[in-house]
Amino acid sequence: MTGMGLDTLAATAAQCTPVSLSDLGRLAQVIWTFLPLSLFSLGGGNTLLAEYHHISVEEFCWLTNAQFADLYALAEAAPGPSSMIVGLLAMGAAWKEGPLWGLVSAFGGELAILLPSTLLMVLASLSWNRLKDSPWRVAFQKGLGPITLGILFAVGLKILTTANHGPLAYLTSIAVCVLMLRTRISPLWFMAVAGLLGGVGLINR
Amino acid sequence: MPPASEASRPSSPDGLAQAPGLRDLFIGMQEVALSSFGGGLSAWSQRIVVEQRRWMTNEDFLTGLTVARLFPGPNQINMAVYIGASFRGLPGALVALAGMLLVPFSLLMALGLVYFQIHRIPQVDRVLAGVVAAAAGMALSMGFKILDTYRRDPVALVLAAGIFVAMAFFHVRLIPLVLVTAPLAMAWYWPRASQQELR
Repeated sequence: MTGMGLDTLAATAAQCTPVSLSDLGRLAQVIWTFLPLSLFSLGGGNTLLAEYHHISVEEFCWLTNAQFADLYALAEAAPGPSSMIVGLLAMGAAWKEGPLWGLVSAFGGELAILLPSTLLMVLASLSWNRLKDSPWRVAFQKGLGPITLGILFAVGLKILTTANHGPLAYLTSIAVCVLMLRTRISPLWFMAVAGLLGGVGLINR
Repeated sequence: MPPASEASRPSSPDGLAQAPGLRDLFIGMQEVALSSFGGGLSAWSQRIVVEQRRWMTNEDFLTGLTVARLFPGPNQINMAVYIGASFRGLPGALVALAGMLLVPFSLLMALGLVYFQIHRIPQVDRVLAGVVAAAAGMALSMGFKILDTYRRDPVALVLAAGIFVAMAFFHVRLIPLVLVTAPLAMAWYWPRASQQELR
């Protein structure tokens, strides 16, 4: 079973051929990729996950499908804002050049995804009194809600299908989804239990 | 000054402490980040910034939450930026951001380094397969969580459904999608006198 999992890993990797870049070139690629996305992180940033997947798995071949899913889970499980997943993706992008480049890339990517939205947020904080009653503000706030809603559903589906799931894995995901909506249990418990089920071989990729 | 109590929602500036300096901002945000390791970041942020340190009124804090949610960027991080910027402008924002992220980001980097070293070990991969299934359930719940807000707004639901289909089935990329749909949605929701009469 695990052999199969690793085969699929290799197969996914084989489909995607990365452009060969120098280590600094890769760092520039990482920064240049995340910088503009920063301003499109609506609804707290989770809306970017499908785009992150496209970039790191399909476009630049930084990661395999399974690695992407793993990093998403890691970012969700770790304390702090889960949007820090960008640091992990960027680490994966430069991992071939060694852990040190991985770290440099992680810092570069995280800075790139945070800096533009931070600068905009500073402007917004300082001019909020003028913005508050503007019709632009009202239209922006109301209009972006439904867009965020649509994107979040697409993101959910993307993450769900990203790791090659067996029926029991799908069942686990749906059960966790229902529990997330109906209870206030910390999701860490769900991940721990599911990790255990995976460890004994009940959930496969 | 009395310790945090219910009198800790000062309605006048008199009840507030002195405006924090850069160092205070860094330490304060670090405290928020550390306190919220089990979750509930915005509640902790409110407790520390409004009730314990008395940097800002509850009203200002809630305004900050609104701005943080409205503008692009992770909400908790935007909140730190708002707090920092309110007192010390851009340097304050950057220092607050650094304070908020230092420990969690270092931890995540350590996790990442370990992950990339060991994830090919079959046993590790098996456990991760389970964890990933649970995490995917969390991702799936995000849309449902805010769905209720739009139950009585058919236009919003049609718009959201269109965006879902475009992304999930036609693989439209995020930036062009937002650039096209945001102006349309903003035009529809533009505050108009006629619309108000209809309601």
